[in-house]
Amino acid sequence: MRTSYRSLLRAGWTRAVVVALVGLSAAARGVAAQDSHGALRHVHGVVESAATGRAVRDADVVVTWTARVADRAVQQSARQRTDGNGRFDLRDLPAQPVTLTVRALGFAPWSRDVDLRASDRLLTVHLEVATTVLQQVAVRADTAADRLARVAAVSTLDAQALAATRGQTLGETIKNLPGVAVIQFGPSIAKPVIRGLNSQRVLVTNGGLRQEDQQWGTEHAPNIDSFDADAVTVVRGAATVLYGADALGGVVRVEHAALPDTGGVHGNVALNAFSNSRQGALSIGVQGADLSLPKVGATGYRVRFTSRVAGNAAAPDYALTNTGFRELNGSVALGVNRSWGRSELSLSRFGTELGVLRQAHVGNADDLARAMRGAPPDSSFSYAIGRPNQRVAHTTLRARTVRTFVEAGELEVVYGLQYNHRREYDNHGPLRFRDEPAFNLKLFSNALDVRWTHPRWKGWRGTVGTSALAQGNQTLGKAFLIPGYDLWQGAAYAQEELALGRLSLSAGLRGDAIAQTTLAFADAGIRSPAGTKSWRNVAGSVGVAYLVRDGLDVAVRVARAWRPPTVNERYAQGVHHGTAQYELGEADLSTEQSMGLEGTVRYRTRALQVDGAAYANTVHDFIYLQPTPPVQTIRGAFPGYRYTQADARLRGVELAVSYAPTMRVQLTANGTVVRGTNRVNGEPLFDMPADRVTLNARVHGANAGNDDAPWYVGAGSLLVRRQDGVPNGTVYTLPTAGYALLQLEAGLRGQRMLGRRADVSLSVNNALNTRYRDYLSRYRLFANDTGRDVVARVTMPW
Amino acid sequence: MSKMSLRRTMALGTGVLVSLAACGESSTAPGGESEVISRVTLTLTPSNGGAALTTYIDDSDGKGPTAPSAQVAVPALVRGVTYTGTVKFENRLKTPAEDITTEVQAEANEHRVFYTITSGSGVTITTTDVDGQNRPLGLRFSKAVAAGATAGAVRVVLCHYDSAPKVASATTCTGETDVDLPFAYAIAP
Repeated sequence: MRTSYRSLLRAGWTRAVVVALVGLSAAARGVAAQDSHGALRHVHGVVESAATGRAVRDADVVVTWTARVADRAVQQSARQRTDGNGRFDLRDLPAQPVTLTVRALGFAPWSRDVDLRASDRLLTVHLEVATTVLQQVAVRADTAADRLARVAAVSTLDAQALAATRGQTLGETIKNLPGVAVIQFGPSIAKPVIRGLNSQRVLVTNGGLRQEDQQWGTEHAPNIDSFDADAVTVVRGAATVLYGADALGGVVRVEHAALPDTGGVHGNVALNAFSNSRQGALSIGVQGADLSLPKVGATGYRVRFTSRVAGNAAAPDYALTNTGFRELNGSVALGVNRSWGRSELSLSRFGTELGVLRQAHVGNADDLARAMRGAPPDSSFSYAIGRPNQRVAHTTLRARTVRTFVEAGELEVVYGLQYNHRREYDNHGPLRFRDEPAFNLKLFSNALDVRWTHPRWKGWRGTVGTSALAQGNQTLGKAFLIPGYDLWQGAAYAQEELALGRLSLSAGLRGDAIAQTTLAFADAGIRSPAGTKSWRNVAGSVGVAYLVRDGLDVAVRVARAWRPPTVNERYAQGVHHGTAQYELGEADLSTEQSMGLEGTVRYRTRALQVDGAAYANTVHDFIYLQPTPPVQTIRGAFPGYRYTQADARLRGVELAVSYAPTMRVQLTANGTVVRGTNRVNGEPLFDMPADRVTLNARVHGANAGNDDAPWYVGAGSLLVRRQDGVPNGTVYTLPTAGYALLQLEAGLRGQRMLGRRADVSLSVNNALNTRYRDYLSRYRLFANDTGRDVVARVTMPW
Repeated sequence: MSKMSLRRTMALGTGVLVSLAACGESSTAPGGESEVISRVTLTLTPSNGGAALTTYIDDSDGKGPTAPSAQVAVPALVRGVTYTGTVKFENRLKTPAEDITTEVQAEANEHRVFYTITSGSGVTITTTDVDGQNRPLGLRFSKAVAAGATAGAVRVVLCHYDSAPKVASATTCTGETDVDLPFAYAIAP
């Protein structure tokens, strides 16, 4: 009963797009009413779990159809969520064939063509409990992005997968997707790496808004509450046309669930516990559509509150001193869904305080050498966070309006105000005695995005848009790292798709103008000049997807991308937390330009799914840190690094295979290989992830039609090859040995707890307590990575 | 709301954008308030009477990229004389200059100053003060110059103990280094 890929193809990609489109815009029912000439029909019914026969509440029911408006085919849709008894009732539908799609948390999507020409329909929808399809081609996605997904490599963790794999932080949650790795500073900081690129080359979007949170620093993790995510999608490879210059390496897209537009108050409680750091995480969400505001009327709402408290993490032989963290996050969202479209307003705040491993915070090069030689001192477990530490708060105000026009497509306007306040506290010198941060950065970002998804025009469907960003950074700390600056950015873009039978052509073009004004910093010691620099450039991509036969399609894409040097690359002067490396910017850096070729293959049968991708990117003037002679200071010598440029090449392959020999067994395998080379000196690039393979097997309980809750049991392994592709010359480039980790998992769905149904899962990471050091772990010079971690997760809807 | 024209919606959005951009306006950092040690001074007082010798090294940007200055007033030690010495850590980038030595003294249990003769012969340095647990501190020391002493240098390291324990018998820093400078000395003719 699972929606096979074949059925999706049969129904056409358009439908997938529309489903996705609706996922964002929820085109209003009123539009349908205006448009349906002749008889009006309705579809009603109930959604049940195929396994238990119980009603599924809050399932997303979408009806889509093609209407003829002024001789043009226009996709229209209506949508509803099932009520507490799993019922839905969609009225005012046209008397013609329509497509019904049902999605619900924890279930595989269901889709069927329904003919309304003759009569209304009453349906019982049986949803199959989702099998562990962690990596799947994005079906739900935002409009234009979905078009991109056809020719680019994309993986999605849906709500159910997130509930089962949610890690200690957002970065940890996605680290097992193909093509993805993380730079970690212990469990508290995990920075996504896509195809070997990170930080300012990987864009994170949160609810359709570019996340602006000092992302240039490898020790600056994305400031996003992972419980807020309803789905996380990773786009691998340059996606700069739609997302902007930061998306040179890829995009991590965090999506939120749509606000309810029917039904009363309900919600869910999620509890996660991690044994390794003795972390407890609690997230409570409440939502409903029964709020009535004066002058606005019925309003959907959602409130979420999340708290995490973690203590020191532990390697197999010792505790990692000062690696605890605390998060306190909250968000409020209000939205209306009317005949003209949909509008949402949300406010969220993410706050974290986290410790940095004590022995990684070294005074100078001698201390560093000693810290690397010595065995890490053991310490007792503690929740206390001492110095060095970071306190980061990120506040986002987001307003989003989608206006649906019967004949003119859809207009989306998103405005976002973000305020990021990052404070880093040192443990060096006189600052140790002060309650004052060494680095105190305030980043204000205003972004306005206008996108118009136009109706089909001569066969082309697509999105054109403009994007504007105004950003200001203040540097207020007692130490200098980057100067204050203002950034202005404007862009116009189009991403279009043309379907030609089995062939689908996709093309995108984007022009950007960026101006960066740095403010003078005139410390008694450090000087950083004022200056304005601006850049203009064009990014573009062309892709072709070809459906070889049902279930098999191939795609090729060429993308040109660029990005200007960031402020830290131009003006950095200072030592980073946890690395003791003295980084110096180079104000005269020019833009970095990438030209990439990528091929993807997708194969789907009922039992077997294969996703493969291979790519080769040439990056002209790749910006990287080159080792320089040590920097002498009153504290002694520091390894020196200066930002410089050279041509580089990145090549790699990714493969994801999922095989279900029987309905109750699922085997998955992912493999990632990436090679980065400095073409000038032939050396490998720094920070390239080691080759890795993940293998996983799961057995499910039978989906019998009784009250027995389905269960699953699984085991998996992460195999990482030795990383010997490291540049010469510095202590930070030591090769790391290969390692293998065992992971176990088990889960029960629909378990009765405290009189309610709950999903319960238990997993064990690094089950054999293996000692290892990952190449991308920034603590690898000092300590082993974390040992066994037993994770318990309970999710209870109410 | 539904009657609001597209143009008005966009104008409003742009207005909000511009007005909020103003509140995010950056400012030049006030500067001049770096919390660093910018000068280390050694004072040597001959025990047989006479004027004290003072020598210091500046680092104009503290922990910035500019290297510390050359040592000012290299002391000329007299053979056969023992000197009582003190060390002073200051932040002279602040006005008035801030004496960090008092803070080191206040946290004596977590600090130690090491003196290591790195060249020359015939000069020995002994720490003469202790912390609250009777372990060497090193803000005060004695410097004995033997009859056959030759010119050389002493490396001065201010060590801060935090996670690592302070061990009385240690001869090098096993904590975090806050200062690491070489001080040359000459021998008076």
